[in-house]
Amino acid sequence: MKGFTAWGLAFGVATLTTAATAQDEATAPPITEFPRNETLIIQNPEPPATNPPNFNLWVAGNGAALSNGNQQLVADTLWFIDPDAGLDGAIYNQLADEGWQYNDDFTEMTASLREGIYWSDGEEFTAEDVVYTVETQMATPGMTWSAAFNENVESVEAVDDYTVRFTLKEPNSRFHALFSVRWNGAWIMPEHIFSEVDDVTAFQFNPPVGLGPYTLHSFDPNGSWYAWQKREDWDRTAMAQWGEPGPEYIIYRSIPNIDNRLIEMSNGNLDLIHDLTPEGTFSIIEDRDSVRGWFEGFPYAHPDPTLPMIIFNTQNAPFDDRRVRWALALMLDARAMSMASYRGAATLSAISVPPTGTHPDDYHMPMQDWLIDYELDLGNGETIQPYDPNIGMQIADMVRPQFGDEVPTDEAAIQRAFGYGWWRQDIDAATTLLEQAGFTKDGNTWMTPEGEPFEFTINTFSEGVINRLGTIIAQQWSQQGIEVTPLADPQIFGTTLPLGDFDVATAWSVETWGGDPDLSFFLDSWHSDFVVEPGERQPSRNWQRWENEELDRIIEEIRVTEFTDPRNLELGQEFVRLMVEEMPVIPVMSYNVFSVYDTAYWEGWPTAEENPYANIVNNWANSKYIFTQLTPTGAE
Amino acid sequence: MRGYFLFAAKRFLQLAVVVFAGTSAAFLVAHFSPISPVETIIGRVSGQSSFSPTAVESLRATLTELFGYDQPLWQQYLNFWGRFIQGDLGPSLIAFPTPAMELVMRALPWTVGLLTVAIVISWILGNLLGGLAGYFQDNRILKSIGVVAIGIQPIPYYIIAFLLVILFGYVWPVMPISGGFAMSVRPAWSVDFVLSVLWHSLLPAFSLVVAGIGTWFFGMRALVSNIVTEDYVTYADLAGVDRRTVVGGYVMRNALVPQLTALAMALGGIFSGTIITEQVFNYPGLGSLLIRAVNGGDSGLVLAVSCVAVIAVASAIFIIDLLHPLLDPRVRVG
Repeated sequence: MKGFTAWGLAFGVATLTTAATAQDEATAPPITEFPRNETLIIQNPEPPATNPPNFNLWVAGNGAALSNGNQQLVADTLWFIDPDAGLDGAIYNQLADEGWQYNDDFTEMTASLREGIYWSDGEEFTAEDVVYTVETQMATPGMTWSAAFNENVESVEAVDDYTVRFTLKEPNSRFHALFSVRWNGAWIMPEHIFSEVDDVTAFQFNPPVGLGPYTLHSFDPNGSWYAWQKREDWDRTAMAQWGEPGPEYIIYRSIPNIDNRLIEMSNGNLDLIHDLTPEGTFSIIEDRDSVRGWFEGFPYAHPDPTLPMIIFNTQNAPFDDRRVRWALALMLDARAMSMASYRGAATLSAISVPPTGTHPDDYHMPMQDWLIDYELDLGNGETIQPYDPNIGMQIADMVRPQFGDEVPTDEAAIQRAFGYGWWRQDIDAATTLLEQAGFTKDGNTWMTPEGEPFEFTINTFSEGVINRLGTIIAQQWSQQGIEVTPLADPQIFGTTLPLGDFDVATAWSVETWGGDPDLSFFLDSWHSDFVVEPGERQPSRNWQRWENEELDRIIEEIRVTEFTDPRNLELGQEFVRLMVEEMPVIPVMSYNVFSVYDTAYWEGWPTAEENPYANIVNNWANSKYIFTQLTPTGAE
Repeated sequence: MRGYFLFAAKRFLQLAVVVFAGTSAAFLVAHFSPISPVETIIGRVSGQSSFSPTAVESLRATLTELFGYDQPLWQQYLNFWGRFIQGDLGPSLIAFPTPAMELVMRALPWTVGLLTVAIVISWILGNLLGGLAGYFQDNRILKSIGVVAIGIQPIPYYIIAFLLVILFGYVWPVMPISGGFAMSVRPAWSVDFVLSVLWHSLLPAFSLVVAGIGTWFFGMRALVSNIVTEDYVTYADLAGVDRRTVVGGYVMRNALVPQLTALAMALGGIFSGTIITEQVFNYPGLGSLLIRAVNGGDSGLVLAVSCVAVIAVASAIFIIDLLHPLLDPRVRVG
């Protein structure tokens, strides 16, 4: 028993001694011995890596972390298309020294490569690396881009050291998209490393050899953090055209618990947080003066080029009826949806293009007059003009009592932050539309044409803002006499949407480049050729399983229109008008990511107002352009 | 002695049946998960890319074949047992083709280290204080400890863990709230590394001790309260036997037998991991690994973690069963 007591005492004394030592320092424990004024610390939104020593990001499902710095700092490819404005336009010629070149019928694409670029081990980057990247993945099933290359590429050849020519199996005006980074892209493999390996799929690629300006310094064997150091020869990378990256070290930390992220930033141990809850954002901005979001004031968050929406399974009655879909849209109050999901910090969109990047200038603003004048035929001889251009202004007024000067007052700023407008809640019009579709009202309950109560389930996310959105939508429809049950569905993207095992869902089927009006990124997959029979697995992204001849015509014309042709914008606007008319999905808002950064140690960050040159949502590979703009504040 | 061996053989048979049944159940649960590792990987690979529907379909077919998911379940089950008896639990499907046991063995030392220390400390302190509180029932200090323990006992563990994070990470930021060791040290048998590991484990271990001590305290106090009324204790007191001998040799020793059994069970349960602790303190270990495996539909990895846990718990019970007749003469075999 004496032994036990002594043990306990020793433990207690040791604990107290250590705690006392730490107390003398009167600060949070140092995260590292990396000099703080040379080190940028970023939260990696991925959980700690499943396979920490694996850096081979060309193998599908090998457990290699992607957004731990590997794809932002080391990997590189031919082009980048930024979701925001970019440093000199959204399209970056990265390893290519000019844009993609197609022949007339889009059966060949030629890429001219930048000269004087070197891998981090000193080997020169040449066309052979690109050829190897394509041929190896075509010959090895199960690699990340194997299927995409096999589907498209007939052959690839190095015309010379700095020119690559792809011969395609079929005409494809968007083949370059595979080598154009939105979030990621087909990264180039170092031929001189992988060609020496017996099994490229089992190769760990540790340490990674890259074309980016950083190399691996060290990493946690448990996968929680990765530290990268600037290459001495950073000027021999494609990034050098934008200047020298500021930080000598960049550390990516996985911190799954949101509270811990807030605490680490409060303690000066984190410069950039990928995502928080709305409430967490409000809290850290109030708590620490040097912290801000994409918008300096409310709503702070960065709108991603992703469009949360209400998706109807148009293969299921009565959601195959446009009148029912429109009626359900007119039963909704956009202000309530914004307040319940994002606490008002939502950027609304009435149209099927997210209000972010260059889209407000290309779509939302120019189409305002059309939206205001749009007349919806109720089917009984009456028409209404359902669009309310002032919803964004109304939400700004609603949050102003709580957030005061943080809320913009300028109309243009409010439209950019809160969205332009949305559909006015119009219960009378909704009633007319439902009655025209054969529905009847029994007391406060809507009855289907078959005489059954109109009831259904809305599948939504299992947590977060989209979960809240699904819940408030169910509540609003229920209040109007339709019994709607929200279902928290952790497998919504994994099985529910692909298998069509739903009537209505809150998720998204629209994701765009963001920095370019071209909509092919998601739209090509909406062609009716890809729509399957009920019960079969629907390929992404046309989860609504909607078929329309006019839609097919738009898609087919985009397929033969060069990416930079202004005609793409016209076709995009035609798509928007068709979507308003048919309403196969009800667009709600952009996916606002509550990224925040701390200006205590580094300055030069992008901002929504003056300098929206890059996405601060740091798992996107193009967030790397930020690092060339950062300079230390001098704080240590 | 022959009786004991017969007893041991019976128990071993039970162990084998439990491992077989537990592992088979784990196989079925892992394979009936609605989460498909193929879809998880496709989502990760194509979710942010402009892959065409046909390219995605082609990738799906390749991965399905690669993972053996194109075979009927009974075939997969037989394949699993074929590998299992050779000591191979197969590859992880979210870190393919890395063997699932390799991932388990990376995480295991952290969980075993943290939980062994926390369980042993809470067991020792809880039983010591509980035993004393049961014997010295009028002692004010021990009564106060009982009141504090009653106060803490109903608080859910995650609340205790969060409170500690906020208290020592934010209000008085003196402790690390994330990771297994500092970035400035490298894993090695060096003083710096060991101290760093201990320093980072302090807060999670403390949270487990605070949350776990009450159970042992109340259990032991109740056991001792019964034993002190036994005739042999009363007789020893009346006979003037030294108080320390009565407490240590007569009371505590007898009360400890069921507590030892419970300790062995708790130590066997270590292999299931501490999911909440690891999430709150971002601490490495089996719990986080299991969560990633479940969320990714990685039946191979779920199975590997489950098998380790099943075998550990079943083995712990087996060892206790074997030791019980030796420790407690009142238990007879045969």
